[in-house]
Amino acid sequence: MSGKTAIKHNMTLDERVTYLKEKAREARLHVLDMVYTAQSGHIGGSFSVAEIMAALYFDILRIDPKRPEWPERDRFILSKGHVCPILYACLGMRGYFPIETLKTLRQFGSILQGHPVIKTPGVDMSTGSLGMGFGIAAGMALNAKLLGARHTVYALLGDGECNEGMVWEVCQTAAKYKLNNLVAIVDRNGMQNDGFSDEIMPIDPLDKRFEAFNWRVITVDGHNLHEVIPAIEDARDCQDGPCCVLALTTKGKGVSFMENTQHWHGKAPTKDQYEQAIEELSRS
Amino acid sequence: MDAFALKKAKVPTRLACAERMKEYGDIDSDFVVFDNDIGYSTYSYLFGDRFPARYFNLGIAEVGTMATAAGMSAEGRVSVVCGYGVFLTMRAIEAVRSFVCYPNLNVKIMSSHGGVTAAIDGVTHQATEDISAMITLPNMKVLVPSDPVSAARCFETAVKTPGPVFVRLMRDPLFDLYSDSDQFPLGGSKQIRSGDDVTIVTYGDIVFQTIEAAEILARQGVESEVIDAYSLKPYDKEAILKSVSKTGCLVVAENHQARNGFAYELSNLLLKETPVPFENLGFQDTFAESGDYPSLLKKYGLSAEHIAKAALDVVGRRR
Repeated sequence: MSGKTAIKHNMTLDERVTYLKEKAREARLHVLDMVYTAQSGHIGGSFSVAEIMAALYFDILRIDPKRPEWPERDRFILSKGHVCPILYACLGMRGYFPIETLKTLRQFGSILQGHPVIKTPGVDMSTGSLGMGFGIAAGMALNAKLLGARHTVYALLGDGECNEGMVWEVCQTAAKYKLNNLVAIVDRNGMQNDGFSDEIMPIDPLDKRFEAFNWRVITVDGHNLHEVIPAIEDARDCQDGPCCVLALTTKGKGVSFMENTQHWHGKAPTKDQYEQAIEELSRS
Repeated sequence: MDAFALKKAKVPTRLACAERMKEYGDIDSDFVVFDNDIGYSTYSYLFGDRFPARYFNLGIAEVGTMATAAGMSAEGRVSVVCGYGVFLTMRAIEAVRSFVCYPNLNVKIMSSHGGVTAAIDGVTHQATEDISAMITLPNMKVLVPSDPVSAARCFETAVKTPGPVFVRLMRDPLFDLYSDSDQFPLGGSKQIRSGDDVTIVTYGDIVFQTIEAAEILARQGVESEVIDAYSLKPYDKEAILKSVSKTGCLVVAENHQARNGFAYELSNLLLKETPVPFENLGFQDTFAESGDYPSLLKKYGLSAEHIAKAALDVVGRRR
């Protein structure tokens, strides 16, 4: 097996957690820089998935930055495409493109578009319209089944995204075809663009909803890597059918004034806010 | 050519296309087919029965299906999505736009019940804005066969053409027009009658109304050149301009909204290249209704008589 993950294979869970915590912190700093430079982008939802993304890109995903098109690689679909700053940060840190590229986010001529596009090295498919990426992931998983391929397709969804009717169309499809090579990770940060999801459109019990569609559900603290890593691996190894990791998270996690407020869904920080955020992330 | 001399087609274009798709499944073992619980109407079940592992009926869920097909094709595979035009081009249009056309993927849309050929089903099942939507999307190619032979050929053209392709099909059988040796490459057209007095461009089912209109006109001493523009995007600009440069006037007739359809495309071309008297026939900012197909064409201005009248009008306006 050629170098697929960033970690060493003999690490204990504790060592992996320590390593990935640092990667999540670095990724958050990159996100902050990118959005501050662009003065546009989605910090809150990027921060809520930082540990999940670190676990995927620096540990679990079988990928090779030198061969972005490697057919046997795992696929990752960022269905909540607006949080692409964290995806780009991970791709840059893994070496899919020079790390300096991150500063060009959303700018004219940049390979880092406002929402992910398939042309960017490491991006498996364009996303950004909520719900669509999940369907795309199901199509990729179906294709893998047809080929008899053994890779896994991961889709990362937001909880607000689950308002979309098509999410449940895709759940039906995945259950019908017993797509045990499809893993959905839902970022349950409890917030969406306009406010708390319980107020905008209540979706609980989200775990029961997925279960009712014949999915297996594993609920975890999405910031606790001791829970996140085994849960995603468990979902990956689940043989019976599709599996969902329901990650309970905090929007804006890591910067005190950004946590749990909708104001940091899609806002760029001022200079003062940027400096304070750097300070908080640097000592975390 | 007299419309009444044409042989009544045994099968509708939707079935001819599906039969070819089934046969083609043996030739090309890669492509897959999706449907939305109307497999017995699109006849995609023919493919499904023969190739069950390559056939995905995802239930009544057009948006999820289009995204799933996009995912399949993002992996390099050709996906064919079968369904009714109004659902595929309206309900699922965002998936078509952003995740099929934008990444330029190999998704082929076999779209039945185009125009009011689904006459008796009523407005909810009539796709009268589909062409407008599909020709507007970057990277999308659009084909509209008129008879069983062209439908089978257009299926092949769609599968062999890289990127997204939309094929508009009909619910009911009309006439046989083409022979097995006829080819239907992307960007082509068929001149099915030549004449010096007026050019009439049409496609799909209205080809047959136009053939009849040409007979009406001939009896009045007006010779029309009838072009079946089966490839709407890209279209055969050269053939159309050549004909118009000869006749000096153009009528476009289509089973579609008069606004923003293929006629608007050609009116734009004429304005830029060679402004000539022009008329277009289609639904005049209105929906149709349930009823038999000939009655709808008469009521909404798409019958042979309407086309002949429009042709006389542009001939009269030509200086």
